[in-house]
Amino acid sequence: MKKKLISAVLASAMVLSLAACGTTGTTGTDTTAAPADSAEATTQEAAPADTAATEAPAATEATGDLGEVRLLNGKPEINDQMQALAAKYNEETGNTLIVETIGGDTNASDELKKMYQADNMPDIFVIEANQAANWDGMLADLAGEDWTNKTGFELTNDTMGTIGFPYTVEATALGYNADILKAAGVDPASLTSPDAWKAACETLDSKKDELGITAVFGWCAEPTNLGWSSGTHVFGQYLDAGLKADDTTYIDLLNDGGKIDEARMKDFAEFIGMMNQYSDPALLVDGTYDNQVQGFKDGKYVFITQGNWCVTSPEDVSFECGFAPYAFEDGINTIIAGPPSYWVAYSNGNVDGAKAFFNWCAGDSAQNILVNDAGLVSPFDDCQYEAVNPFYKSMNSYITAGNYSGWHTMLKKDGLQNQTCNVFADYAKGKLDADGFVSTMAQVISSYYAQ
Amino acid sequence: MGTFSTGRKVASFGSLILGLVLTIAGLGLSMTGAGDLILGTLPINGTPTPIIFGRGAMFVIGIVLFFVGLYLFPTFKHHRAIVNIIFLFPLLFAFGVTVIIPLFLGIGYSFTDWNGILMHQFVGFGNYARMFKQTAFLWSILLTFLFVVFNMILVNLVAFLLALLCTSRIKGLGFFRAAYFLPNLIGGIVLGYIWQFIFSNVVTKFTGTYSMLSDTKTAFIAIIIVYIWQYAGYIMLIYITGLNTIPGDVLEASAIDGASPLQTLFNIKIPMIAPTITICTFLTLTSAFKQFDVNLALTNGKGSVQFLGEYIANGTEMLALNIYSTAVINNDYALGQAKAVLFFIILAAVSIMQVRISNKKEVEL
Amino acid sequence: MHTKEKPAAVAIRLVIAIIIAAYVLFPFLLLVINSGKETSDITANPVSLAGSSLGQFRFNIHEVINDPNFLFWKSFGYSTLITVVSLVLLSLFGAMAAWVICRNKTVWSTIIYFTFIASMIIPFQVVMLPLISTFRDVGKFIGIPMLQSVPGIVFAYLGFGGAMTVFILNGFIKGVPFDLEEAASIDGCTPEQTFFQIIFPLLTPVITTVTILNGMWIWNDYLLPSMMLGQNGKVMTIPIAIQKFVGSYVKRWDRILPAALLAIVPMIIIFLIAQKQIMEGMIEGAVKG
Repeated sequence: MKKKLISAVLASAMVLSLAACGTTGTTGTDTTAAPADSAEATTQEAAPADTAATEAPAATEATGDLGEVRLLNGKPEINDQMQALAAKYNEETGNTLIVETIGGDTNASDELKKMYQADNMPDIFVIEANQAANWDGMLADLAGEDWTNKTGFELTNDTMGTIGFPYTVEATALGYNADILKAAGVDPASLTSPDAWKAACETLDSKKDELGITAVFGWCAEPTNLGWSSGTHVFGQYLDAGLKADDTTYIDLLNDGGKIDEARMKDFAEFIGMMNQYSDPALLVDGTYDNQVQGFKDGKYVFITQGNWCVTSPEDVSFECGFAPYAFEDGINTIIAGPPSYWVAYSNGNVDGAKAFFNWCAGDSAQNILVNDAGLVSPFDDCQYEAVNPFYKSMNSYITAGNYSGWHTMLKKDGLQNQTCNVFADYAKGKLDADGFVSTMAQVISSYYAQ
Repeated sequence: MGTFSTGRKVASFGSLILGLVLTIAGLGLSMTGAGDLILGTLPINGTPTPIIFGRGAMFVIGIVLFFVGLYLFPTFKHHRAIVNIIFLFPLLFAFGVTVIIPLFLGIGYSFTDWNGILMHQFVGFGNYARMFKQTAFLWSILLTFLFVVFNMILVNLVAFLLALLCTSRIKGLGFFRAAYFLPNLIGGIVLGYIWQFIFSNVVTKFTGTYSMLSDTKTAFIAIIIVYIWQYAGYIMLIYITGLNTIPGDVLEASAIDGASPLQTLFNIKIPMIAPTITICTFLTLTSAFKQFDVNLALTNGKGSVQFLGEYIANGTEMLALNIYSTAVINNDYALGQAKAVLFFIILAAVSIMQVRISNKKEVEL
Repeated sequence: MHTKEKPAAVAIRLVIAIIIAAYVLFPFLLLVINSGKETSDITANPVSLAGSSLGQFRFNIHEVINDPNFLFWKSFGYSTLITVVSLVLLSLFGAMAAWVICRNKTVWSTIIYFTFIASMIIPFQVVMLPLISTFRDVGKFIGIPMLQSVPGIVFAYLGFGGAMTVFILNGFIKGVPFDLEEAASIDGCTPEQTFFQIIFPLLTPVITTVTILNGMWIWNDYLLPSMMLGQNGKVMTIPIAIQKFVGSYVKRWDRILPAALLAIVPMIIIFLIAQKQIMEGMIEGAVKG
């Protein structure tokens, strides 16, 4: 009798311990699998087969609930505003938008690959133009949506159609502090040749104490955390500076097996060399984004190698801001402007929810948050808000004059910036001279393309 | 003996059969793609709510029931065997699914063009040939070996000296031991960020130069410093245990014979803790080889170096991180997998060699 | 021999020990004082106490705890849950398996034992990529999500921790006299009763050892959860949370340092409470392993 009792207790103890992992498992399925189930079933099949499955939830969604939409934001600096946007969306439409932010150290595209592996894809995520190929066949075609009539900046793709929603227009060049330039007697409009730049740098450098500046340039070539800045943005000036927005000469050359125009690269190298020379040594090699931007905001640097995203609110600065071109050849008078990245809808995700969000996002209340609070520049024609961004005036003058180039740097082979940023860093440290910079660039790029 | 109540028989066969049925039904539902079983609908708050009996739940309950049935199976002869199976099953099952299956799959994948989702064709040794053409990969192998050698020597040396210090007669021994061991508690990621702060914000204040992390050579030294900081305390503890096993009378005898402390150290202490040295060398060797977290958090592999006439941008990237970025960052899963298999072979060979050599030494001594 | 030592030598050694301790503990000190500063004070004066205040410290910690990218309590809860459940199951199943392997000298048990030992050499990178696809497929097949789920990662820890656990426990069980079990068997104990009533209680010290070893590993593990849970999964552990958190800022030390502090505090508290056991456990594990 006693023995039986003991064995019964033991048996039930074992069952319980086994069930301990079982029950957590089942409750997990009950709560999470319910909405995800249809999507889960479709991900097993190839992409084309899912139209039927996405149609099925659409029928039930006619009642007004579009389900949850997850958005992966790649701009950590506007995370708070994105959360506000999600709250507003929920308040106005009753739909739920969950914003997850990745950025800084962690590249959103790297994390997305992992999320794809783990079957944890967000419904909307950020891509740069050259990454569309990675997602071939997996992005929803957004053609015919209302918002596409209001902008010319959407991303289109040969095989997938209209795939990218432009959430912002950004510009990058050498941002300047107009008040300091004025005090030093330098006219930013004259900075369209290497000689003019050299003269300006010398003037500014000689009046350092008088102007209260630490250095002429707030330029940081630190590769580990800021590789995107040097390897993508600054490098983009080599590709696009001085070219019209649709001119793809140098990006085509680059994508043709990693070729560069050595003469142009040499001029570019000389210009970067000048930036190295007149930059703040405490920032140049091992600074951080925050130090760089803070220094510019505090008036310690005259120029900054970022774009309009680094100063988003007029309250951040007490001076006028503007952009000057990277005039490493005579006559270069353009800045790079356009959407650097796009939001896309994952075709196996909640496409209807994503489409609804995009349409709402192109509308007034969303633009209000994105333009006035996040300091973004609207790509939509009917947006009534004048961007508050301190760089906007300058940026707009270049765009209306047609003096802007494209973000073709986003079309280079994915991951190239992780290689080239080190060349910038070595140049900044003095390990390379201008010729060394050109030859190393050529070698690094061609071997990366050869892989 | 020899008789079983009908109740027990019914319970046993009942749960065996029900368990099998549920397991097969659960698997069947997923194979046919039917999804979860809906038993019916219940009107809750006016809206009909389906009662779902998930295939997952079905599967788990089925397996549990099956084992209950097996456990209650009316036999004396095989009861011990049944218990053995039940006892071994949970761990072996988990081990098989997490280690054995992925291991063989992984070796298989390394011969294909797997991109993480699909594979189109078998490429033979293509990936293995390809990885040796990557100068950056060769560099990361070399760097890993350098790192391992430096660490094996330095960590053991530092740890041994600390152990000598901590077995001598000073006040507050317990405190010092705990303090030296403390860094070992912290995970590599957090530790990497703390040290990144120290290298880029604190050390630069004193040296007035660039951060150590911005140059390949100094960044490599930085990784070694952090690694010693983290690991030496742990190895020290093991040396302390080894040193404490040396019988006191042996040491006294040598002191009476007039041996100097150095003579005692080299002629008595070190030979007598040879097995401890083996353990410690082995531990530092394998853990240094697998180093990933600190490498990721501290430099993420960045740094330039000239190697075999080529400019390499990922100068501080060690093997483990190289495998990770090949697969996850560059999306080249098959190549990453092939590198991982090579990594496995190197690690296995080095470990076996190391144990052999140490064993021989011990015998000779 | 001890009596012969000069006091000067002892004093010198003490000074050396203190200097080393200062070096070892210095990063922790920096972490604490800089957690109570604003960014500008951190970059201007990382080593001094200037600018460090309790109010700012509270403010920073408060900001960090509630940050949507860190969610300290959530990740702390998940880390605890995953670690505790994994440890309990590893100890139980590990002891069961080790006992069977140790007490049955058959071809099968030998094969299993040596497979376990050989597997300890496998670097995680080899299985990491197929592991994810295996778990994804298994999860879909049986209908329980194995990725981004607590059961999934606990299951993985069972698999990865099993080998070492069995190895250490096996060594200990060998030393338990077999007479005990024979006596129990003669008294009419079934094998499972023998195990749970006689053997298992005897294993307490060695189970403490494996629990400490596995606990340190699971709590601090980064790569496995980062692959299995992802940075944006519903389930987050502390190492994942801190990596994500740092990634979501562009190097704001006034946020990162308090987050790092929060991440290590639980471990330090446990260490202070169970210092002796942890240190002994780590030694045992190394010597046996």
